[in-house]
Amino acid sequence: MGSKITDKKRKSKDSDSESEDELGNGLFDGVLSQSEDEEDYLPSDDGGEDEDADESESEGSDGFEDEGDEDEDEDGILSDDIPSDIDDEEKMDKLVKQQEGLEITEPGVDPKPKEKEEEQRNYRIERDANGGERYVYDEIDPVYDSDDTDAKGPVNTIGNIPLSFYDSYPHIGYDINGKKIMRPATGDALQSLLDSIEVPKGWTGLTDINTGNPLNLSQEELELVRRVQTGLLPDDLEDPYPDTVEYFTSIEEKMPLSSAPEPKRRFLPSKNEAKQIMKLVRAIREGRILPYKPPEEREREEEEQEEVHFDLWQNEEPQAPNPMHIPAPKLPPPGYDLSYNPPEEYLPSKEEREEWENADPEDREKEYLPQKYNALRKVPAWDNLVKERFERCMDLYLAPRVRKNRLNIDPNSLLPKLPSPSELKPFPTVVQTIFRGHDGRVRSVAIDPTGVALATGGDDGTVRVWELLTGRQVWSVKLSSDEPVNTVRWRPTKDAFVLAAAAGEEIFLMVPTHASVTPALDQASRDILAAGFGYATNGQQQSLPVGKEPPAKWARPGTKLEDEGVLIRITVRSTVKVINWHRRGDHFATVSPAGQRSSVAIHTLSKHLTQIPFRKLSGLAQTAAFHPLRPLFFVATQRTIRCYDLQKLELVKVVQPGAKWISSFDIHPGGDNLIVGSYDKRLLWHDLDLSNRPYKTMRFHSEAIRQVRYHKGGLPLFADASDDGSLQIFHGKVPNDQLENPTIVPVKMLKGHKVVNKLGVLDIDWHPREPWCVSAGADGTARLWM
Amino acid sequence: MGKLKKKGQAGAAKNYITRTQAVKKLQLSLPDFRKLCIWKGIYPREPRNRKKVSKSATASTTFYYTKDIQYLLHEPLLQKFREQKVLEKKISRALGRGDVSDAARLERNAARPDKTGKPRYTLNHVIRERYPTFIDALRDLDDCLSMLFLFANLPSTTAVPAKMIARCERLCLEFEHYLITSHSLRKSFLSIKGIYYQATIQGEDILWLVPYKFNQRVVGDVDFRIMGTFVEFYMTLLGFVNYRLYTSIGLKYPPKFDQLKDDQGAELGAFALEGVNIATKDDAKAITNGEAEHGPDPNVQAEVDKIVQQLRDESDEKAAEEGGAPEDAEGDEKPSDAIDKFEPVAPGGDVLPQPSYSSSDPSQLFSKFTFFLSRETPRQPLEFILRAFGCKRIGWDSVLGEGAFTTDESDPSITHQIVDRPVVQAATSEGGDGEDNQTSQKVGPNRRYPGRVYVQPQWVWDSVNDEELKSPELYAPGAALPPHLSPFVKPTQGQYDPTLPLEEQQTEGEAIDAELEDANGEGEESEVENDMSVASDDEEEDEGEGEEEDGDFGGFSEGEEEEASDDDEEEVTRQRQRELEAEISGRAVQSDKKNVDAKTKAKLEAKKALERKKKQEAEELERAKGMLSKKKRKLFEQMQYTNNKKSAEDLKLRQKRRKLEKERKA
Repeated sequence: MGSKITDKKRKSKDSDSESEDELGNGLFDGVLSQSEDEEDYLPSDDGGEDEDADESESEGSDGFEDEGDEDEDEDGILSDDIPSDIDDEEKMDKLVKQQEGLEITEPGVDPKPKEKEEEQRNYRIERDANGGERYVYDEIDPVYDSDDTDAKGPVNTIGNIPLSFYDSYPHIGYDINGKKIMRPATGDALQSLLDSIEVPKGWTGLTDINTGNPLNLSQEELELVRRVQTGLLPDDLEDPYPDTVEYFTSIEEKMPLSSAPEPKRRFLPSKNEAKQIMKLVRAIREGRILPYKPPEEREREEEEQEEVHFDLWQNEEPQAPNPMHIPAPKLPPPGYDLSYNPPEEYLPSKEEREEWENADPEDREKEYLPQKYNALRKVPAWDNLVKERFERCMDLYLAPRVRKNRLNIDPNSLLPKLPSPSELKPFPTVVQTIFRGHDGRVRSVAIDPTGVALATGGDDGTVRVWELLTGRQVWSVKLSSDEPVNTVRWRPTKDAFVLAAAAGEEIFLMVPTHASVTPALDQASRDILAAGFGYATNGQQQSLPVGKEPPAKWARPGTKLEDEGVLIRITVRSTVKVINWHRRGDHFATVSPAGQRSSVAIHTLSKHLTQIPFRKLSGLAQTAAFHPLRPLFFVATQRTIRCYDLQKLELVKVVQPGAKWISSFDIHPGGDNLIVGSYDKRLLWHDLDLSNRPYKTMRFHSEAIRQVRYHKGGLPLFADASDDGSLQIFHGKVPNDQLENPTIVPVKMLKGHKVVNKLGVLDIDWHPREPWCVSAGADGTARLWM
Repeated sequence: MGKLKKKGQAGAAKNYITRTQAVKKLQLSLPDFRKLCIWKGIYPREPRNRKKVSKSATASTTFYYTKDIQYLLHEPLLQKFREQKVLEKKISRALGRGDVSDAARLERNAARPDKTGKPRYTLNHVIRERYPTFIDALRDLDDCLSMLFLFANLPSTTAVPAKMIARCERLCLEFEHYLITSHSLRKSFLSIKGIYYQATIQGEDILWLVPYKFNQRVVGDVDFRIMGTFVEFYMTLLGFVNYRLYTSIGLKYPPKFDQLKDDQGAELGAFALEGVNIATKDDAKAITNGEAEHGPDPNVQAEVDKIVQQLRDESDEKAAEEGGAPEDAEGDEKPSDAIDKFEPVAPGGDVLPQPSYSSSDPSQLFSKFTFFLSRETPRQPLEFILRAFGCKRIGWDSVLGEGAFTTDESDPSITHQIVDRPVVQAATSEGGDGEDNQTSQKVGPNRRYPGRVYVQPQWVWDSVNDEELKSPELYAPGAALPPHLSPFVKPTQGQYDPTLPLEEQQTEGEAIDAELEDANGEGEESEVENDMSVASDDEEEDEGEGEEEDGDFGGFSEGEEEEASDDDEEEVTRQRQRELEAEISGRAVQSDKKNVDAKTKAKLEAKKALERKKKQEAEELERAKGMLSKKKRKLFEQMQYTNNKKSAEDLKLRQKRRKLEKERKA
């Protein structure tokens, strides 16, 4: 056994050095490494001294001879007690010997391995008490190395350098102990020649790097190499996969091991199996497991299966339509022009056809041209059908649906119900009379309550009275040389013939002489004006605190003017722009926009008394007027119109027309409606009961509106005057029924006045009864429209 | 101060969701999302204010209701889509690994829904959801039918598999069978796009378009995947609708389908309807032509029937005689489904309208006739429409396919023959007669069987639409056909109607114009007759001077025409001026010529009056418009615009017609 291992060692040692490149094989490597391990503890050895010589001799040869046996019982490798074989000296000798000869060495002649094995055994076979064999092993000398399987290492420690470096030395390297390994002796030339002629078994021609001996492979090793190369198992066992020998089933026992009777369950069918089978059966029945079918059959079945139909709406229940759901609109049904044989008028003319063809397909109103075929067989396929369908599909799923309220109403129903023009009549349409005479602008016009005389006041400081129908000037007075007459207003009652006019800071009350004025009337008028003088002298001093300037001074204007008929002069603090009489004729209000807190003043004719109703006014007062029926007083500032109760002395209402700068306003004779003109070109109608905001806003003028006026004599008319030189006449009917809204209809635009210095028509006034109106123009004329 | 509200947490921003967001939320691919939307009937919405919904939204962003998408989240189909995606991934991974067999296994398994494989889905639940009641489904059948009929006529391609086409065709034919049996087809219209049909089922009007039997050309970029998705849904829908319709009239669905006959082109004839019970069975069988073909000669059958009927009547009479008076009375009051007529007993009550009973049921319009279709006529639509209106016996040339009552043109039972070929000249007909071996058994081109009515196909359609048999002379072969009018147009007040005479429709002004024109024509003619030289001179003058001076009536009339088309105010005033001048000059001419009558003058007066009136009206309109608010004025103008457009179209049509009528007269 031990020898076998050594053999192995040897073999490995040999192969180790040079054969590697040739036989580079992993498996082989493994073998080598194993052998290497054992290399080391060769020298330390048991006391088999006697065998040494043989051993050394067999050294080289063993390697080959033993291989054959090695296979048989590889198992019994006992590493520990391997007898070491080579003595150092001997080994050296051999090495040197080999070195002296050629590199190619020949191992010694093969000795008898069997006997050697016997000798090498480290046990004895004895007979035991029974006469059997008994192995008695030698005693082991327990030195340090005796047990060491790990001790190993190459004999030569020069490392991986060519052996040729040592050519000039007697040694070939050093062992682990630092001792030189002497070059083995080599045979002489003849010997080597002989060797070369008779190549020994396992000759490789290589030199073992460790020992310097020629490296030979044994037959066994060669076989191993061959097997590895051919991909077989490296160890040639008889059969790597032998059949199993089944001891329990193959060998029938003559007698049963147990004498127990066969249990009943052996004869009964298995319940568990039955359960499993039932499971499958059930699955098949329920269709969870389908029996195999060829694919064609399966396909056919599937097709049939697809067409399973049943009554989907068997238990239908109508649902309330989702309000958010918008069903897709249906395509419109075909019209006459889609017919294959339409009436001829539907066929496109040549121009239409050309236009259609030239238009981009997206711009076309219809995607087809009507065509006529005189027989059904001539009708071709419609090219766009697939595309049309596709577009419909796209619309169905991609087009956002929006519910659009289509107003399917007659457009005329949107229009307001307007009275016919004949109902709107009468209204002024043409200019009847032109009153010329003023030098410069005519600032103000007024028709007297009887409707006979017209008073005008102008830039030239004169007040003139004309016969309305003829245009003849009947009376004139120059009130001021430098100030224009800003406004003239008749006292509204017929019992007297009194005219109020304002020029600068002075207000004049006069009784013009006129053909229609009878002496009685004239006297009555003069009495009314004079009545206050006595009262004023008595009353005024008492009421006025000492040292404070009175708001107005009532005085006689002087004899020159008195002769002409101007009877009273009232001097106030600033320029008066507006005069408005109370309906009874006893009071009148004046407005002087520049007059700060005394801008609005109310004058009482019978007492020659002037009062300033407002201590403070927010904003600049523009104009003021009395309510035609109730004791209310309206004051317009730039933005708002305030309505005050004169009896309770409180603010009743604030009307907000929304205009930037109110120029004028007028109150409907009914008292519930108001029109407002503004410098920002707007005319606003207010229903005082309805709201503070305008009911209608009319913007028909291109320039500022100067004056607005209702007809006071029962006709539903109102007019405005604008800087664009035109008057606009509106029909504004206020129904008796409170619930109805007033109807406002523009009826006429009167043009005639010239625009001078961006000023057109400055004032208007209506005839007290007739549908006539008078306008004052910046062009120096006044016109009567009828 | 309340808590500041974060943007995008409420309101429009929450109510809407863009498409990309929706796709992400549903974790679907875009094509799957599209499919789902198509099937579930979910469509984009247009928010009132796009900016409020999403700041980054562009004009092309598609918005959906968030609620709609949320509703999709519970859709069982969603899971199927995902499974499908997983499977496809598996297959593609297997292919990527080069594991073809594994891929094939997966693919194969995919065909078996019971294994782990391609998820098979049905759209039943979707249909039930979208159409909770059957009426809802009928209401939406327009698109479904148009689509399926189109697909039934498409050539098969990779995008449109042949199986799909076959299934569409089957479903369509089944539906047609229902219409035939239930006589619910109402109208049909031959258009240039195809044939429109209208049926009324359970009170719902269904209108669909069937293309002519030609190979459909696919122009433009048409995505058949999208259409395929629609078709898939529609096929399921029509299947269920058919089932319901069939069972409602006691028929079994699906009807028996004869593949062999279908292969021979029998189409409608390939189906054999079966009743669910015996009572309806006989009725159902009578529908198909196959039985009639194999059965006894219809004439013989008819005679036999007659005799049987007589016998039965006799026996009835006998029974009546035996039974005596009381039984007779009973017989009179047989219970019936029909509505009783309510006659007012005493005067003074309101008369309530009742559905009228016309003696001739339109659905039995053709029941007494036997038709023969020549081989140039479109067999499918004719067969369908004739059958739907009661015709039982239709024969056709054998080249038109299987299933004809007779293929023998000379069959004596044929009462009507539908032909669509031109009348051939006698000389050529003789030559052609012998050569045409296919029609050798038939008569020559111009020869006709006596006792038979020959009509063009349009006769059938016009008869059906008017619910009465039209006079066949108008539709004789070779005759110029009367125009084929759409039965779907509802006449509305003031719109042009080609069926009415022109005089009833034209406006007053137009009438006067027309008459004037006529008169002028006559006048001119007479003028020419009177003295040629003067007239020609005058005319030359007109042409040369144009508008400036109108010498005579010819020029005047030209002006009139212009005016009709142009209603500009300025134009009108100028026109008036011209008119006045013309009048003056006309008078002068009149004094020269004696034969310009007073009638023309009266007309002129009327015209002027009319014009004045028109002008006045226009003025009034302007005034009224001035009183409208800006918003309302715009609305009014818009409406006016569309109305004017419509009336302009009508005017054009009337003018064309007048011209045509004039030409025809001349």
